[in-house]
Amino acid sequence: MSDAPALRRRFTAGLALAVAAGLGGSWAAMRGEWVNQRDDLALRRGAVTAMALDQLVGRAGGTGEPLRAALAAWQAEQPAGTEARVVRLSGARLEASTAKVDVGDQAAPRRLARSSPEDKVLYDRGQRLRGAVEGNREGGAVKPEVEVERLAGGRMRLAGPLEEDGAVVGLVQVDLAPAPARRPPAPWPMLAVAGGLLVLFWFLAPRLGGRAWAHGLLAGALFLGGLLALGAHDIRRLERDHREAQRELSDHAREVRAGTAKLLAARGLAAAPALDAGRWDVDRMRRPRGLLDERGELDLARAEAEVRKARGDAVGAVVAAALLGLLGLALVGSGLLWRFGRALVVHRQAYRYIAPAMLGTLVLVFFPFIYGIALSFTSSNIYNTSAPLPELWVGLRNYWTILSDFGIARRGADGALIWNYLNFYWTFLFTVIWTVTNVTFGVTFGLLLALVLNTRGLAFRPVYRVLLILPWAMPNYITALIWKGMFHRQFGVVNQVLAMVGIEPISWFDTPFTSFLTAFATNAWLSFPFMMVVSLGALQSIPADLYEAARVDGATRWQQFTAITLPSLKPALVPAVILSVVWTFNMFNIIFLVTGGEPNGATEILITQAYKFAFQKYQYGYAAAYATIIFGILLVYGNVQNRVTRATEGV
Amino acid sequence: MAGAREEKVPHGLLHAFLALVVLYTVYPVLWVITIAFSGKQSLAIADLPAEPGFLDRLRAVTPWPAQWSVANFVSVFGDQPFARWVLNSLVVAVATTLVGVFLSCTAAYAFSRFKFPGRRAGMMAFLVSQMFPGVLTLIPLYIIIVQWLGLGSTRLGLIIVYATTSIPFSVWMLKGYFDTIPRELEEAAIIEGAGPGMIFWRIVLPLALPAIAITALFSFMTAWNEFILAATFMDQEEMYTAPVALRFFVGGFQQQWGYFAAGSIVVSIPVVVLFLYLQKYLVSGLTAGSVKG
Amino acid sequence: MRKLTLLVLTAALALPGLAAAQGARLVVWHAYRGGEKLAFEKVIASYNARPTTKVKVDPLAVPFDAFADKVSAAVPRGKGPDVFIYAQDRMGGWIEAGHTVEPIDFFVDDALKKRYIPTTIEALTYRGSLWGLPLDFKVITLIYNKKLLANPPRTTAELVKVGQGLTNKAAGKFGLAWAYNDFYYVASLLNGNGGAVFGPGTRPTLNAPANVKGMQQLQAWNRAGFMPAEPSVALITSLFNEGKAAMVFSGPWFLGEIAPGLDYGLAPLPAISEAGGQPMRPWMTVEGVFIAAPSKQKEAAFEFVKYLTGVESARVLALEGRFTPAVKAVYDDPAVARDAQISAFKKQVEVAVPMPNVPEMTMVWSPATTALNKINSGASPRDALDVAQRAVEKDVAGLRKGK
Repeated sequence: MSDAPALRRRFTAGLALAVAAGLGGSWAAMRGEWVNQRDDLALRRGAVTAMALDQLVGRAGGTGEPLRAALAAWQAEQPAGTEARVVRLSGARLEASTAKVDVGDQAAPRRLARSSPEDKVLYDRGQRLRGAVEGNREGGAVKPEVEVERLAGGRMRLAGPLEEDGAVVGLVQVDLAPAPARRPPAPWPMLAVAGGLLVLFWFLAPRLGGRAWAHGLLAGALFLGGLLALGAHDIRRLERDHREAQRELSDHAREVRAGTAKLLAARGLAAAPALDAGRWDVDRMRRPRGLLDERGELDLARAEAEVRKARGDAVGAVVAAALLGLLGLALVGSGLLWRFGRALVVHRQAYRYIAPAMLGTLVLVFFPFIYGIALSFTSSNIYNTSAPLPELWVGLRNYWTILSDFGIARRGADGALIWNYLNFYWTFLFTVIWTVTNVTFGVTFGLLLALVLNTRGLAFRPVYRVLLILPWAMPNYITALIWKGMFHRQFGVVNQVLAMVGIEPISWFDTPFTSFLTAFATNAWLSFPFMMVVSLGALQSIPADLYEAARVDGATRWQQFTAITLPSLKPALVPAVILSVVWTFNMFNIIFLVTGGEPNGATEILITQAYKFAFQKYQYGYAAAYATIIFGILLVYGNVQNRVTRATEGV
Repeated sequence: MAGAREEKVPHGLLHAFLALVVLYTVYPVLWVITIAFSGKQSLAIADLPAEPGFLDRLRAVTPWPAQWSVANFVSVFGDQPFARWVLNSLVVAVATTLVGVFLSCTAAYAFSRFKFPGRRAGMMAFLVSQMFPGVLTLIPLYIIIVQWLGLGSTRLGLIIVYATTSIPFSVWMLKGYFDTIPRELEEAAIIEGAGPGMIFWRIVLPLALPAIAITALFSFMTAWNEFILAATFMDQEEMYTAPVALRFFVGGFQQQWGYFAAGSIVVSIPVVVLFLYLQKYLVSGLTAGSVKG
Repeated sequence: MRKLTLLVLTAALALPGLAAAQGARLVVWHAYRGGEKLAFEKVIASYNARPTTKVKVDPLAVPFDAFADKVSAAVPRGKGPDVFIYAQDRMGGWIEAGHTVEPIDFFVDDALKKRYIPTTIEALTYRGSLWGLPLDFKVITLIYNKKLLANPPRTTAELVKVGQGLTNKAAGKFGLAWAYNDFYYVASLLNGNGGAVFGPGTRPTLNAPANVKGMQQLQAWNRAGFMPAEPSVALITSLFNEGKAAMVFSGPWFLGEIAPGLDYGLAPLPAISEAGGQPMRPWMTVEGVFIAAPSKQKEAAFEFVKYLTGVESARVLALEGRFTPAVKAVYDDPAVARDAQISAFKKQVEVAVPMPNVPEMTMVWSPATTALNKINSGASPRDALDVAQRAVEKDVAGLRKGK
């Protein structure tokens, strides 16, 4: 391993990987930031134009000739390629338009044509904005009040609601000419640095002799140095451009404000209240961003805060790139990757045997799984499903909300304990009890039956076996409901039987304990046949001569059971037990169908609770956090169980 | 074997115990049969007189229809292509079983017999795959199978999902069982010049038949009773499976339990038949002879 | 060889069924079965046979249990149908999730809107836009055994009196059997007292005084003792069929369960004496015909939707499929007008209230049911509804926390 030329080759490869991942990644991230910034600027400029027009349209009365004249005057001041349309929802009318297509018999004013898909889009957008504004007034801003559509050729279309007396009556839509293109940062400096680093390393490496750590140190230092220099340069540039963008926006807002004021004066429209440019620079929910004051001047503190945030993002990207690069370097440099590759080749037969089974599992299970985990860090819900996940990022909030609530019970007015069955820890406790009781019963009972059915010479064994697997064979949807019916207070057979022996009828679903019993009886019924079959199969693996030997030694039946049967069953039984714990923990159907959580959610298990959050309360992010916690609990269990099993194996 | 007779539990006691258990197992099933043959649609309700006596109550808890009728069965098969849907289920379930058992056998054999990096992680991965709650994964599965793989409305799409669902258990089960098969047999075969494929097919598999029977039954059941994915992936009525057919009887306002029960009985028959066939591997007696080769 | 077999097998399994894509056709998903399905398919056949029909229609029945999930999975990804039929209670959720339901009020003029019973249009209106055309409605009404009761009660005062007269607990006989442990049914009392579940928009109003009043009335009925305990569907059916319940509050789905030969009649739910003779107002469920947002043939789809919800189809659906159509003109048809059942539901629907179609409605069921259970076992309606109100408020606010 300490062969100098080999080290040189290996670490050069590692550095190449690090440089590609780190420098390349950092550059790509910076370029992305840069593009976003330009994009954001274009969008905000557009929003200022659109919101100002919205205000102009409102002051022009929003309808009739005065509006059309005002819009025509507005159009005269706009750069080529800009056009606007005003739609009123009542009567589906195109009130005014400066669009090139709206001429001749298409000229405003006209009714939007039912046969025209384009007109339908326009009208539906107006309805959607109205719905969004009304919905947002009910609390929280959940739906966009400004719609943005990218058109071909870099053009952009913005639409905002037209309001009269607080009610949305239509929409104002502006198509904007593309912003002047700017050349994005070129990759050349980055490539030059990358090449330089590699060459430098290649020539310096021979002086390090056969010391791996020295190679690593040099490669790491070169990489970090290069990355830091490039990163610092890029971040400075990003800041400079950001400030410039803010100035451009402010200039634009002041220009628009002056232009609009001039138009208002020229058309004899109300000049008061004074135009407020600060309310034109808005986000998608039409909330002012606070960067501009009413005259369109920059709020310096706010501007600096925006720059700081952009810088923070950029620094984060550089750090991530550095880590990624160092990881690559470490992987290749330490020879881990190489060993990994060799392992693949050496053990290719084993991997070939496993690959097909593993592949399906990886694709079908881990994709939903990673998506679920990502979702759990967001505030995703039914109102914002269309927003990209990063916009909804809330970090650990969902987990905190779930796990920090210890209010399992409180004292009522009369001092009695009142349980809060919806609390996570109650549900968790119940789920654990549910799982332990069910699996214990299932395994014991299944094994017992298997032993009985394995008795030599017992008559009717085939008949028993078939009758005993019936619960497994029958669709459990109906059998679960039959079980539920059996526990009906007045007409259920369980209470009838109790009455026959003189016991008062029980309201099974009224207390947590009895309600649990109903689900337990059902699930036990459903699950023991599986355990019985597994045990039957496992019993076949025990060589008979073991028993013979034991008997020769005079072992009792119980001793034979504990010394031979149980240990021999373990390899086949342990997986079944582990998996049944996992399945029972997430046994959705039985709880959902039999108790439905009654009374008051006391018999919910974690999975039914997660389901309710997702499909009844539509809090997808929260439900995903719940699901991830379930997963975490089971993962811990799996590890512990594995360790315990291995430990006993060693004995 | 001779010694076993000496301290045998009396068979009478065993029969009594089994009879009790059978009562517990069969009782709800008898209600399903009662509803199916009642000719009516509602879940059975005990019909009690004003002051029910012991016998009235006994009658109420006895699953026996007031009158027998096969009308529900006739409707189930007559009003919809139920037979076709059962056939679809059979195709899907049998294919799932074949694919699932084959892939699990190879994987489990590798886990049991080969030492390679990632062995433990691989086993753990199969276990972990069972831990993420399944009810929340409908849409991701839809995206993979229908949108990405374009396997909507095909049996293959369902088979892939079902086989993948059943594989983790099968691998664990088979690996555990393979571990109990003495390596000396294989070592002897190697000395006699057998290749790894030969060893796997001729020596290990025959010895693992009980475990394979269990995994086969398990894989079959996984595919046989699944409803929501089948209903979601299939866009043609003739491609539906039997569980989908059953759910047609559960409407938003009204549930036709008579049809549902009749259909359930039909649907459980293939499972019982399969079990009857497989059970010989579960009861071949203690395998002393076979292990010795 | 084995590989080849595997390949052929794979190909065969991957092959979709035969009826796949035969040129442009409209695909319609529905959840009907039995008689409803036959009538529905007959309407589609006659639509396809029309000479003016440009794009023919293929129906696909999907089990009710899987329907909503299937729509949510398939439609936003452009893999779904062109048209689907479902009750309005999931509509708001699909609209908010986006890319599922196409708004249609751009297509609909006032004349078309006036074709339907106004409340059915209201049921399919969300945030001021119309999202589908109504096909039929479901509503509960009073069903009574004519042998036990000649004239059904017109007011709740009469109901209690008549009910008590017909009750003989020792003989297991009851005046009225209905699912008063199911909030869907009980809402008729709350609505009749002027209550509602949501105020303007999505503000929960479970503990509004009118709702408390409705629940107090339910408790009074409980005390009057003319209803069986723990009324499950199976119990109500069996009591009515055995002549042990004179009256039932239930919907059209119940009629199929009534034993053949039992002479029964339908009448509107009684007016609430305690609320100044206001009628009980049951919730109505409206089956809307929706156009899928990603459909590429929206205009053809709308043509079909118009036809399906028109009077010509309604006649077939009503008489052969036992639908209760939303289109008004069908009730002028002599054959339909003669049909006592359909006319009775039409009469009841005039005072019915559309069940809320906002997504927040799913958050109501569980707390409301808990409250209802407590009230039925004698707890104070005020307190029980206060608790439910707080739970719903919390969940509704949970959706609006934003980032």
